[in-house]
Amino acid sequence: MIRSRARWATAGLAVTALAGLSACSADASSAGAAGDTEPAGPVTIEVWGWNAETGEQTAEAFNAAQDDVTVKYVLQASNVATQTNFRNATEAGSGVPCLVQGFAPLTTMVVNGWAQDITEQVEGSVDLYNEGALAAAQVDGRYYGLPSGSDGQFLIVNQKTFDKYDVEVPATWDEFVEAGRELGPHGVDITNLAGEDPSILMNLAQQAGAEWFAIEGDQWVVNFTDEKTVAAADVLQPLIDEDLVSNQTFMDKPALYKYFDSGKMASTTTQWWSLTGLQTNLADSGGDWSAHPVPQFADATAPVTPGRTLPSFVPEGCENPGAVVAYTDWLTTPEAIEAGRNAETGAVSFPVQVPDASDYVDAVVPEDFFVDDKAAGEQIVTAQDRVIGKFELGPNYDAWFPELQDQWGKAVAGDITLQEALTAVQEFVAADLDDKGISYTVTE
Amino acid sequence: MSVRAQRSRPLFGWRTMQSLKGASFTLPFLAGFALFVIVPVLMGVRESVYTTQSSGLGFGGQTVEFAGLRNFAKGLADGAFWTGMFRVLLYAIVVVPLTQALGLGLALVLDAARRRTAARFRIALLLPYMVPGIVAAMIWIYQYSPTVGPITGFFALFGLDVNFFTSSMVWVSMGNLAVWSALGFTMLILYGALQSVPHEIFEAARIDGASELRIAWSIKVPFVRGSLVLTSLLSIIGTLQLFDQPVLFRAVTPETITRDFTPAMMIYDQAFQVGNLNYATALSVILAVVVGIASAIIYRFMNKEES
Repeated sequence: MIRSRARWATAGLAVTALAGLSACSADASSAGAAGDTEPAGPVTIEVWGWNAETGEQTAEAFNAAQDDVTVKYVLQASNVATQTNFRNATEAGSGVPCLVQGFAPLTTMVVNGWAQDITEQVEGSVDLYNEGALAAAQVDGRYYGLPSGSDGQFLIVNQKTFDKYDVEVPATWDEFVEAGRELGPHGVDITNLAGEDPSILMNLAQQAGAEWFAIEGDQWVVNFTDEKTVAAADVLQPLIDEDLVSNQTFMDKPALYKYFDSGKMASTTTQWWSLTGLQTNLADSGGDWSAHPVPQFADATAPVTPGRTLPSFVPEGCENPGAVVAYTDWLTTPEAIEAGRNAETGAVSFPVQVPDASDYVDAVVPEDFFVDDKAAGEQIVTAQDRVIGKFELGPNYDAWFPELQDQWGKAVAGDITLQEALTAVQEFVAADLDDKGISYTVTE
Repeated sequence: MSVRAQRSRPLFGWRTMQSLKGASFTLPFLAGFALFVIVPVLMGVRESVYTTQSSGLGFGGQTVEFAGLRNFAKGLADGAFWTGMFRVLLYAIVVVPLTQALGLGLALVLDAARRRTAARFRIALLLPYMVPGIVAAMIWIYQYSPTVGPITGFFALFGLDVNFFTSSMVWVSMGNLAVWSALGFTMLILYGALQSVPHEIFEAARIDGASELRIAWSIKVPFVRGSLVLTSLLSIIGTLQLFDQPVLFRAVTPETITRDFTPAMMIYDQAFQVGNLNYATALSVILAVVVGIASAIIYRFMNKEES
């Protein structure tokens, strides 16, 4: 806290000298104009997010904790509403906030000219964040996003089902497939692959070390079919071919939870924020689940955890990125985490961006869900510790992701193979980049 | 005196003034129509003759260039767009006549019933039409759910294993939903038209020995043909613009309902996913022209039959 204040005091002085304490929201701009002629009060920054539970109370706690920056939290209805309102403000050229909760991948923000380069401001704070959070905030080695924690994946297994059929919990993806083969004859699916959600393929590719997009000089290198991605596909393809998985949609939540609760699904990868929902809806199987590290690839040199995030960003036009970084740095402090405690549930938000979140893990492990709560908490912390954070999604993610969904749906239904799906997506990406005039090369 | 009379004569005659006064009542509508239809259409047409281009990594901002009719040429040659168009046309061929036939049947039954009974059923049948399309799709997705929905269980009672989410059944699932939603509106329009048929004709027919079925087929149906044209046109226009139902059903059968499954879905995808607003507006203009042509053909065909 003291450190954070000191950093802001320095940043605040610099901003005062350079920018006359002008702020970037409409209200703040007028305050800034006044600041040209007389000493101004605190810089006001507008923050847009959809945290209805604790966003405002956290901002108020920050305002009370120091006098240099005033945060005005503007609650948005949702991710989509934030995107719409932000587009409108940008098009109108007025009312653009200083900090926006990430609603799309960071590279998309940069390509659209929305996120500003805040490398200078972030570099002084890197020791406050874990590696995954720092990696996720970068595009082409520059910070365009604020360090934002990725939600590390871990595996939850229905221990009762595994014990019943005497199957070992898999530590590698090869063992995962084998476990599926052992459970299949008993009418148990090793996991669920929803036809509309290819995120497990993306997570596996990220974990394997694939780079679907990379930057080389002034062009993108596109590669959806490298050996790392093929390795990821090779985990899932036999599960699909041998009918060892289910295809329950996330759209039909009651059916999904009923199936999860039935003991007919042996495992799923998940992340900390899903646990409360699972505990609430899996009434019958509560207490049967155990947490484990996400399986590793057999040739992995060190255990890693897939996990991505949509980092918050400072929009172009905000004149006080230093004030924003001061606020987000403060959010890593115990005082800020406590300020974010939900008055109704008593839970704090798990600080996934900090190097060690172990002090807060008890609050996110739900009661009566795991066989061993302490072990589950340790797995959550380990997952956060190993999270990769960065998986470059290129300049046209919004365009190609629906195509990946289409192709994934066909692959999961067995109409095509995953390799064919990935090749089709790569062709789509190439055609779309051609249309947009963006330079690229496809690695064969 | 005559000079003074000439000078005081108003600029327009009283008939013209009356007409202008009458026409002025349409001004609020015309202003709204211009603002919310004409202006957006013109803006859309303008948008469709430009193209947005990036360069390098795409980080350096975008430039807007005049593209002429290039977006339209691309749209006319776009296989995915026309496949989607053909798909909804086929769907319309089944769903539209089915909706009209069932709506007409219900209207005839209500017309034959006592007025109080008809009023009760009219409201009940109109309820699905009042449900927003997205909500209706959500309701039916739960009804269809093989795990928690009641319909699969109902068919299971007869030994039938029916899954409404499979790719072969998704058309039936959506068609049923479309008919359920549109039936009340079609029935209401046709029932209203039936009410305006002079009852003396029915009495004359009955005296001549015509059965109720004969009266319905030979008198009532020809009288409501104009309303049938209207409801058919609205139904066709709605079907060609099919969007919200397949978008929601996409979640349960993504292998069948792709992002460019219908023309409207493809336009949405181009505008808000791919980010090619120029191409999306060009496709919108093409779709509007197709809907216009289809409506004109149906209108002419049905009116010709009537004359």
